[in-house]
Amino acid sequence: MKTFFTLVFVLFSSTAFAAEQAEEIFAQLTPSLYQIKLIDKASGEKSSIGSGFQISSDGIIATNYHVISSYARHPEKYRIEYLDHQGKMAEVELVSVDVINDLALVKRQVEEGMPYFQLSDQKPIKGEKLFALGNPHDLGMIVVPGTYNGLKKESFNERIHFTGSINSGMSGGPVVNKSEKVVGINVATSGNQIGFLVPHDKLVKLFNDYNKKAPIDIKQQMAEQLLANQNKLMQALLNNNWQNKELAGKAMIPIIEVPFIRCWGDSNADKTDALILAAIANCSLDENTYLSSHFFTGSVEIEFRFMQAKNLSDNKFYHLYQQQIARAGAGNRAGKNDVSEYQCHHDLVTPSSTANTGKAINNKSIFCTRAYKDFPGLFDVLYLGASVDKNQQALVSHFTLAGVSQENAMAFTGRFMEAVSWK
Amino acid sequence: MEVGMEVTHHSDDRATEIAPTTAMENDNLSLEQGEIIIEEISRNHKLLHRHKFNLNEISIGRNYHNDIILTDPHICPKHLSLTYSQGLWRLNDNNSVNGTLLQHNQEKRQDAHQQVINDGDVITLGKSQLRVLFSDHQISDTIALSPFESLIDFIRHPIAVFMSLALFMLIAGNISYLNQQVETNISQLFVSAFSMSLLFSLWPAGVALVSHLTKNEPRVLAQFGISFVFFILMWFSDLLEEIVVFNSASNSVLGLFIALIPIFLAFGLLWLNSYIGFHMSAKRRIVVAISITALLFGGTYLLQYSKKREFNPHPNYNATIMAPVFLIAPSNSVDDFIKQSNNLFEQASKAALEED
Repeated sequence: MKTFFTLVFVLFSSTAFAAEQAEEIFAQLTPSLYQIKLIDKASGEKSSIGSGFQISSDGIIATNYHVISSYARHPEKYRIEYLDHQGKMAEVELVSVDVINDLALVKRQVEEGMPYFQLSDQKPIKGEKLFALGNPHDLGMIVVPGTYNGLKKESFNERIHFTGSINSGMSGGPVVNKSEKVVGINVATSGNQIGFLVPHDKLVKLFNDYNKKAPIDIKQQMAEQLLANQNKLMQALLNNNWQNKELAGKAMIPIIEVPFIRCWGDSNADKTDALILAAIANCSLDENTYLSSHFFTGSVEIEFRFMQAKNLSDNKFYHLYQQQIARAGAGNRAGKNDVSEYQCHHDLVTPSSTANTGKAINNKSIFCTRAYKDFPGLFDVLYLGASVDKNQQALVSHFTLAGVSQENAMAFTGRFMEAVSWK
Repeated sequence: MEVGMEVTHHSDDRATEIAPTTAMENDNLSLEQGEIIIEEISRNHKLLHRHKFNLNEISIGRNYHNDIILTDPHICPKHLSLTYSQGLWRLNDNNSVNGTLLQHNQEKRQDAHQQVINDGDVITLGKSQLRVLFSDHQISDTIALSPFESLIDFIRHPIAVFMSLALFMLIAGNISYLNQQVETNISQLFVSAFSMSLLFSLWPAGVALVSHLTKNEPRVLAQFGISFVFFILMWFSDLLEEIVVFNSASNSVLGLFIALIPIFLAFGLLWLNSYIGFHMSAKRRIVVAISITALLFGGTYLLQYSKKREFNPHPNYNATIMAPVFLIAPSNSVDDFIKQSNNLFEQASKAALEED
């Protein structure tokens, strides 16, 4: 009984302490917190909402790119407004974005110097208590205490793993430490207290770059960032080791040894009535870049499928096999205003790396690409190789890359095609 | 009594008529012009009956004293008579209730009373029509029997029809076998093959029915034989197209060429269907076959075109693959493939600019 009381007391005191701290933080910072609204000009109503926070005395407000993405893509259709703690509203101007790290800077008019958030100059330590601020579901500004849990494992573009509730509408709000300095920006959630933040150093860099030289054209700035990011990603993929791995004991497939590409496997070995035994390995990049609600890029998908006929004639096996490969689709979402239609080429191809050996494979290879309309030089590509040289066995090798340059796409395709063979 | 008088008078007339002609043996003209052919025709100018006379007066009407007895209730008992004199036939309307009209060479119909009749004229009385021809009427040239005739004779043989039906069912069964995702048994395949051939039988049956309804000879077996032979040929052309597409790269022109085969086959089938089932001129047959082919393929194209979405977010590629036995073409190298695929980027960039 005694221990129980002690426990309760300890718990009570610690929550009381946290609550007090949160209250204090909220009271002090609230004048620099905003709700950011995107107003549809034609209807005059808000089309999306998020949070933002001031980071300079002259009115620069930081938020997420995805909060204002509609404006960035169609500036003629929307305007951006802020709503402060006193209920005042005014229009702001979009001055810079970081589309890769989902950050944006907007600027409000100020008459005199205003209080603003300090950006931290150091990273938090694991287990450190943090406070996320924002306006979830348009319910009003709140503060959510949580814990810093390091950077998200195996991510290509860094994200902080925050244990605490981040809800939609809080996007773009700051996350501060006990000394009220910004260490991250709310960006995403996986539910169940798992939240993700953009590390503060990305914002520091964006802000410093803006102070040095403000971008002239937002679309141009986005195009440069996308081009640079795909270069970084594709170089990482092309310069790392591609490990040769067996698939179902019959085929050799490449597995790219980078931490941010993760692989999963599946087979239908348990389905006794299936006519074809299939073993599937697929690898993908878990993150992508948000451009608008219907347009994503930066995804990488790789899939291998080994098939073995069970009591089937060759013709029937190939007939069913064709149905399997007939409907490969894009790895990312994109619409009519974002991309062209796919252009495709197909041919019979034998990679020279294994030609004239026992491993040689003869593929029907299909390559398709579509171009980005607003970002010239970027393409979505799709490759599908289907082996056509074994009567009762087949290997499908397939990948999609989103938002890559022609040079990188072809370097990847060439290497990929050469790396697939029979065992 | 009067009637009797008429008859005697009539026969007298004839005797006097014959007498001078026999006297003038050399004057063939007057003798031949006394000859007249009268055709009862339907409203769309199809022949119903044909009469040939060698008289100098012909009576036409509803009662049984007439030379030509018509049953049309809109015709009077003694409606009209045709008389021959001085090398010309004249028409006399006997004050009929509904009158008589004469149409010469597709011209406008006019009142026929006391009109001279020419070769090919159409007489309208009541709701019936008669066409008048003289024995020197121009007829079209003899059409030689087509070499198809012997082929059709072969194909319409019951054994040949049975064989082509059996082959059709075999192919249909095989196709449904290939498309089944799960294991199947023979009876299931037979049922689907049988229903498939029943479905396809509707075509020759329909054609035979139409030719029967249009007073042509139906020739059911010939229609069945020909149709199923062509259905089989179309499947073979599909197979050929598949093999060609499988073996060639996307920039090959051969594929395009092969795609025309089904169009020619459809034309051939329609031509033979009409050759077997309907009497029409060669030119008209070709026009009919071409029109139906164009309607069929053009319609299919239009249907696909109208279904096509404004923007297709999915790649549209040719995924044809076949078992290694069908693989004839040599393989390319990765470098060549990359080189050819490189052209797509330019095309895609151009398309992105155009669609703006």
